Amino acid sequence: MARNERQTREANDFIRAGDSWEPVGHTPLPGILELRNWDRRLLQTWKPFYVPVTDKCSLCTYGECDLSEGRRGSCGVDSSAMQARLTLRTCCEGLAKILAQARRLIDYLVEVKGRELPVDLGDKIGIEAPHIRTVLGIKPASLGDLERILCYIEDQLALLLASANTGFEAAVSDLESKAMHASMLTHTVMEAADLAAITGFAFPSSKADTALIDVGLAAVDTKKPVILLVGDDTVSAVCLVDYLRHSGLEGKIEVVGMGPVAHDLVRYCPTAKIAGPLSALPFVLRSGIADVVMCGGGNLLTDLLSETRAAGAAFIATDAGTACGLEDISSDNTEEILIELLREKSILLPDPSKAAAVAVEAALKLSASRSKAPPPESSGQHEAGKMRVGRGPVMDTEIRKVGAPLVLGTIPGVIAIVGGSNYPGSPGDIADIAEEFAKRKYIVVLAGDSAIAAALKTDNEGKSIYERYPPDFDAGGVINMGPGVSSAHISGAAIKIASIFAALPLRANYEVVADYILNRVGACGLAWGACGEEELALATGCNRLGIPVIVGPRCIKYGRLYLSKPGETDWSVMDGRSKQVVDTGEPSPEHLVNLLADKGAVIVALAKLCMRKNDTPQGRATKLTHYIGLHRQYFGKLPADAHLFIRRASDIPIFFKKELQAQLGESGWQEKPVLSLPTLVGTYRSQVTLDDVVH
Amino acid sequence: MADGIFPVDIGPQYEGEVIRKADMRVEFGGPNVRTKFELVSIKPPDGVTHEKVEVIGPDIDVLPEGSSQPIALIVDVAGARLERDIEPVLERRLHLYLNYIEGFYHMNQRQDVWMRLNKASFGKGLKSLRSLGEILIFLYTSEIDIIEKIQVTFITDPVKIEELLPKAVEVYRSRDEKIRGLREADVEEFYSCALCQSFAPTHICCITPERIANCGAINWFDGKAAYQMDPEGPIQAVPKGDIIDPVRGEYRGADRLALEKSMGTYDRVFLHSAFGYPHTSCGCFQAICFYIPEADAFGIVNRDFEGDTVIGSPFTEMAGDTSGGRQVEGFLGIALEYLRSPSFLKADGGWYRIVWMPRVIQEMYRDACPMDLHGKIATENDVTNVDELVAFLDRAGHPWVKGEVKLPV
Repeated sequence: MARNERQTREANDFIRAGDSWEPVGHTPLPGILELRNWDRRLLQTWKPFYVPVTDKCSLCTYGECDLSEGRRGSCGVDSSAMQARLTLRTCCEGLAKILAQARRLIDYLVEVKGRELPVDLGDKIGIEAPHIRTVLGIKPASLGDLERILCYIEDQLALLLASANTGFEAAVSDLESKAMHASMLTHTVMEAADLAAITGFAFPSSKADTALIDVGLAAVDTKKPVILLVGDDTVSAVCLVDYLRHSGLEGKIEVVGMGPVAHDLVRYCPTAKIAGPLSALPFVLRSGIADVVMCGGGNLLTDLLSETRAAGAAFIATDAGTACGLEDISSDNTEEILIELLREKSILLPDPSKAAAVAVEAALKLSASRSKAPPPESSGQHEAGKMRVGRGPVMDTEIRKVGAPLVLGTIPGVIAIVGGSNYPGSPGDIADIAEEFAKRKYIVVLAGDSAIAAALKTDNEGKSIYERYPPDFDAGGVINMGPGVSSAHISGAAIKIASIFAALPLRANYEVVADYILNRVGACGLAWGACGEEELALATGCNRLGIPVIVGPRCIKYGRLYLSKPGETDWSVMDGRSKQVVDTGEPSPEHLVNLLADKGAVIVALAKLCMRKNDTPQGRATKLTHYIGLHRQYFGKLPADAHLFIRRASDIPIFFKKELQAQLGESGWQEKPVLSLPTLVGTYRSQVTLDDVVH
Repeated sequence: MADGIFPVDIGPQYEGEVIRKADMRVEFGGPNVRTKFELVSIKPPDGVTHEKVEVIGPDIDVLPEGSSQPIALIVDVAGARLERDIEPVLERRLHLYLNYIEGFYHMNQRQDVWMRLNKASFGKGLKSLRSLGEILIFLYTSEIDIIEKIQVTFITDPVKIEELLPKAVEVYRSRDEKIRGLREADVEEFYSCALCQSFAPTHICCITPERIANCGAINWFDGKAAYQMDPEGPIQAVPKGDIIDPVRGEYRGADRLALEKSMGTYDRVFLHSAFGYPHTSCGCFQAICFYIPEADAFGIVNRDFEGDTVIGSPFTEMAGDTSGGRQVEGFLGIALEYLRSPSFLKADGGWYRIVWMPRVIQEMYRDACPMDLHGKIATENDVTNVDELVAFLDRAGHPWVKGEVKLPV
């Protein structure tokens, strides 16, 4: 959408357009419409597939309306549009959640460190903010810049939510495009939040071999007073650790985290513990190990307060986001608050310094008066394992190092395992999936609760995957990026590949970068557990950036996938060299978001989703080796669609050459060109041209 | 994988398996054994019995558990399109293929070879070297169509190995001599590698006997082998064409290649100069040769070097200026092995124009560095900025600074 002169001037001021680090691309500070054409092109190949939870629409006061069998509601909406609107709302809620988290964090840091504090990720990270650079067109230099970025995203969120009102947008493609916009901004704000946290709290960065910490209830020393932190309130966690350090109590009180805050807690204090993934929260609460529970932000359980009370522990709500119906007594002094907490057992205290002092004193007092039994050894919750502390963004040097192996196919792809726990299968499945790919020399990156769950499965020597595989962004590496917001560093690594290998300018160049990733970077995501709203946004943001994602069966609740259809989908792309549209017939990536419940099916699909149209013959042969080998391992036979991915004989994996030749013969396979510059640019209306792609 | 044909599985997931001594059924070669080698030779068709596997000496099943045994692994291949030049490339496949085998590992090469089989795979039925031979034949013939006949011989009898070892060593020696002696002038074809174009669309590597690909993974012989194996593949033969500038390494064929593969972005390329029309770089180069104006000379920094170079920028920052398939004067992405080339930066003064490099690289390439330069190239231990560098060079009496180096014309 064309900006007027004033808007252009303001946008240029915002991104400091005069800074000459890269030319400003086509879409600085994109609004709702700027990337719409790209979204429409994606949706042409990977169509939204809706699985409504209900046929009834009760979104507005005209209804409730019956939308079954193609009926429209009183307002004119049909079932697909209703579901698309719900998708948009969910993505906006996810964005809002991360925005609130970032806002709380950045406001605090601005308060204590000042707006001028420079963004500092250590000496091995040159591209400090791939998303912010690519989406907005600015290189964030300071906390103040991050704060301004939040303002821009907050404005966008308001506009997106406005269109999600009843009576507004009802075109499916636009609702989906807006959901993608919200989701792209979710990645952006996640990046901003983690940059602020790493900078402000000196979390590990520019380093791969971060500390190994204990995960699991069994690792918690229940003889000490125990404070359990739940939610995403990083500030409270940091203040708590600072208080313990200043009062000489570090090591005398067991600080345990669950949920996003757990990752930040151990990034700040590697002697702290993580009790387990968030799905184990009810069990941990009922085990009675905690003397004090501190909760800020979301944590999935809305009955946390009553569970905590039932277990005899004290409860402190630290953030307005989840005030739990409690009275705010933060204006009282610490002694008064402590007395109130010990008497009432629950308070709202959105002052992190006071909350820290009160929690520690209450834990000391309560622990002395309670007798705690060690947690029962039943129900598999007694596991413990080591997790590597989240290491923040992938280093630029690491990206450069994997260049040749990614090209040659010795690294077949990047597998990102993110999102909540509570998987469809056994909790150990997530470690199995990670290991299957690590041992096949993929790069395996984890974040959020999945990274925690993966620590809990140990081998017969008691070692978790973090101890058995190197912590590098390299072949066979297993990496914990950090909490959910650190997931942005995974998609950010894909952006860095575009910048570092192809010297593609990132600045406000989203469409070109996404096209590069879609066609070239063999990365895919898995969010297999119970998904919160922000995880739908995370997945949808990956999709806009050209990264396919597999979700677990619990995501059926969100009711929308992006799927291709065998035999129907047009797989044509532009060959940037000949400038001709070429029908590749190759479903790569087959779906942008798909839902799978079975571990074997997930593993096989992830291997398949790493194939891209630009794969070199060596790369394709290696990727096919894994796809076919895994298919045989889990389904006992060769995949029926292997021939679709074979362009020339040199693509055929040597291990299956003789068997595949029979399949090729039966399917009437014919040689196809190997494209070295496949792109969607040129196949749809856009201000981006082929020259932008070649650069 | 080729289900049921072999007693154990094969595939890339087994590469990198560690076999500890306690898990080892038997090892061949390695530090405890003197008589060992592996050799792949191209033979005339009548000298090879296709798919024959022979084991001379005791086989795995009768060898004592946990023992270290002598070994000769001899692979003979024949094919009308196989040329002797690619023997080393075929031989290196042994390392790759043997490591694909479940419960088996292979280290080193030639007369230093070291192989181990674990107890689990022995238990699954890998009890004979014959099975290894069959797997090797399966993989060689699956991958390399131009192999028409192949036979594999394992010898575990130390007397026989002893007899053959000197002949193998002589083959290695003559191969090395040929590789070291080969010059651009001796060949008619260079090779182009477009593998990185999948990521950096305007980059093309031109591989000559005196310039290994930037990634360090493909030398002229590898290029030749890859081209022979897959003439339509990403590695193509480039007719060298007339030599336009012997000093800078400009050839008509390489220029034509640059024009075509960079989609018209560049029409000239100097293979041995960082000025004018330097070779482009993808993102995979192992090191950067960078110009230092204050010394009018070059520094070299490798990818693994951490911290700032003498000009104040780290590798990462300079890599951004170097990569992406562009010609950037004064920044040249190279493979470290290019330091051994007799034509290394020939037009710009070669080694004599180098004034700074990380200590580890200096150590690694000490033998390639002219004797009279030893101690005269600064490292990160000697200097931390350009002022200190200039003082160091004066003090050390670097020949370039003293004006003793004449650039070729």
